[in-house]
Amino acid sequence: MSFIRSIFVLLSLALVLTFGAATLAQDTTLTMLTHWGTEDQLAAQQTIIDAYMESNPGVSIELVTVDFGELRTKIITGRTAGISADVYHFYHLWLPDFVNSGVLDQPPDDALAYINENVAQGTIDAVSTSDGQTWGYPTEVNPYLLVYNKRLLAEAGYDAPPGNWDELKEIAAAITQVDDTGAISQVGLGVMPGWDSGIVHPFSALLFSNGGNYLSADRTVAEFNSPQGIETLQLYADLVANGGTDPSINGLGNFPSGTVGMVIMAPWWRATLRAAEGVDFETEVGVAEIPVGPSGDAPSSIAYTWLFAVDSSSPNKEAAWDFIHWMNAEHDEGAGSAIGDFLVNALGAIPSFDHDQAAFAESMSDHYVSAFVAASAYARPEQIVAGGQEIKTLLQVEIEAVLAGMTTPEDALAAVEQQANAILEEQRMMAEE
Amino acid sequence: MSSPAIKSSWWMPDIPKSTVLRRRMLWAYAFVAAPIVALLVFLAGPILFSGWVSLHRWDMLSPVGDMPWRGLQNYVFLLTRDSIFIKALGNTFLFAIGGVGANTVLGLGFALLLNSRIRGRTVWRVLYFMPVITAPLALAVMFAFIFDRNYGVVNSVITAMGLPRQPFLSGPNQALMTLVFIAIYQYVGYYIVIFLAGLQGIPQDYYDAAQVDGAGNWQEFRFITLPLLRPVMLFVVVTNTIGALQVFDLVFATTGGAPANSSMTVVLHMYNTAFKFSRMGRASAMAFILFAIIMLITVMQVRLLRDRTYQD
Repeated sequence: MSFIRSIFVLLSLALVLTFGAATLAQDTTLTMLTHWGTEDQLAAQQTIIDAYMESNPGVSIELVTVDFGELRTKIITGRTAGISADVYHFYHLWLPDFVNSGVLDQPPDDALAYINENVAQGTIDAVSTSDGQTWGYPTEVNPYLLVYNKRLLAEAGYDAPPGNWDELKEIAAAITQVDDTGAISQVGLGVMPGWDSGIVHPFSALLFSNGGNYLSADRTVAEFNSPQGIETLQLYADLVANGGTDPSINGLGNFPSGTVGMVIMAPWWRATLRAAEGVDFETEVGVAEIPVGPSGDAPSSIAYTWLFAVDSSSPNKEAAWDFIHWMNAEHDEGAGSAIGDFLVNALGAIPSFDHDQAAFAESMSDHYVSAFVAASAYARPEQIVAGGQEIKTLLQVEIEAVLAGMTTPEDALAAVEQQANAILEEQRMMAEE
Repeated sequence: MSSPAIKSSWWMPDIPKSTVLRRRMLWAYAFVAAPIVALLVFLAGPILFSGWVSLHRWDMLSPVGDMPWRGLQNYVFLLTRDSIFIKALGNTFLFAIGGVGANTVLGLGFALLLNSRIRGRTVWRVLYFMPVITAPLALAVMFAFIFDRNYGVVNSVITAMGLPRQPFLSGPNQALMTLVFIAIYQYVGYYIVIFLAGLQGIPQDYYDAAQVDGAGNWQEFRFITLPLLRPVMLFVVVTNTIGALQVFDLVFATTGGAPANSSMTVVLHMYNTAFKFSRMGRASAMAFILFAIIMLITVMQVRLLRDRTYQD
């Protein structure tokens, strides 16, 4: 009996020691939610996570990725179900909504000091609310430019990209090819219906290059329904009418296959274009400034960003901020940060931190990304406001309605303006309640 | 064997004196209680909560206790100012009318054929039923290719016949009808099976008697098959209508409501409103309006078809 008792005691002791040691060794588990989900991106993120866990043996990190289209839903439903991630990487347009709902934790003072010291003010503003509070570490800066297929332009008789809207219409129409049965085998300007950013960001880039505005400076009223805005949407209608574009040919999927002449797009597309079979990245892909509209006087663009932030309900906020800081900080002078390396080399995006822009300057010096780096100096940051996602989706639908010939530019913008102003007014009232 | 019982209260049934019977009754209550509790927690609870949410503005992120009261504002907004909801409602009705009408007619027609002595009857039944067991998302992706404006096989056939190329899913005037077609393809097999079961339940004696009286095929169909199929017809029409009014996955995977909301349906708009725009109050109000519409239509259908069945 005493033998059995001894065995039992020893086994119990072994169990306690095993699980106790495991608990002590990994007493913090963080979950990070991102939208970087391709095989290469997952591997690159895991490398960063492994490096952090190696230098921080008490912390275990789980990576969760979802498609961009489901990211906001995942964050919302995760919060509601009480299974939210500790660390989020999300689109800055959602920031005011998340802040108003108490989703986010305020960064610690040393984190804010580091961001203020190493990031350009315009980018800091893009991840801050109107009260000046910064809510996380900004990651990529994405201005939009005209990406074009040099070969298709040359075949249509053009050796330079369009500089203004008349040239854009002319070149787009010249590139488009329609066979005897009406099938479009090649289109001049590719649009991206079904994707809010793919429709609204190029529209905004053209609007700004035509001297227009999206919202007022204080972000209280919509300003896209202006003569400049109507001219911008009329450009879309003209391009459909002259065959320069067709919504049935999606620029996102078809430019890499070599059947689209031009697309207004962001820098993170580089990895896709490098792997594309229908277009040679080095010799055929060109990048140009946004063509200037009749009411504009210089090329302009829109730039959006993303940020890392911490969930306010996380039981491990301190560890979460430490992890985010570790990813974004430069540990060896001139080496750049882990995220900077990922953004530049895995995505082709432009990092926010000055030290990353310096450390990876050579990687960003290719003909593609360098053009976007130059544009980031003058591109206007996307104006973030509570309800911004809803306004953007409403505008997307009306732009698509113009592309489909269902409405006029005037009616489309008037309809969205009315709804957008109602949303902005409602958000103001909500904030006051 | 019967045992004397004690009446305990107005809401309790008679309690038998026998210990064995009492124990059995307690067990019976215990078994019945489990599904009732599950029903309350997982069905009645969420429905009541959803009704409560529909009277508030809630973004799903703020604490439930902090929801601002909105009264009937969400309902008023949807019915008077939300043009997308009105559009989606119209689209959903068109989808339901087209889908239910075609599925009923085609389902009955094919069932009559498969009920006759045609060759390879079993093979035809399997073929018709295959789309029913195919994942809706897989079908949606397949049809997106088939109906593509530029590379789709349907347009290849159409243009080979000398007809003009059609936009189908990318055309504002054709997207919804194309979705109706896909839905019919997907579900007609299910209704064929239901009708077939109904047809096989009609006694052959009726047809034999009718033939003795000199009835033709049409008269047999009109005066025997159709009246005796009314209960089946009721089931098909009601379940198909309810399903069609709640259509989501097919639209989500093919058009997403595009182009420009021309194929937007109520449940897809509800999903967007709830999860894209964080307006759970408004989405809940949509759910209740849709519920009221479905309830009304179902009651009308049941009365119409059931009463006539009894008359017959």
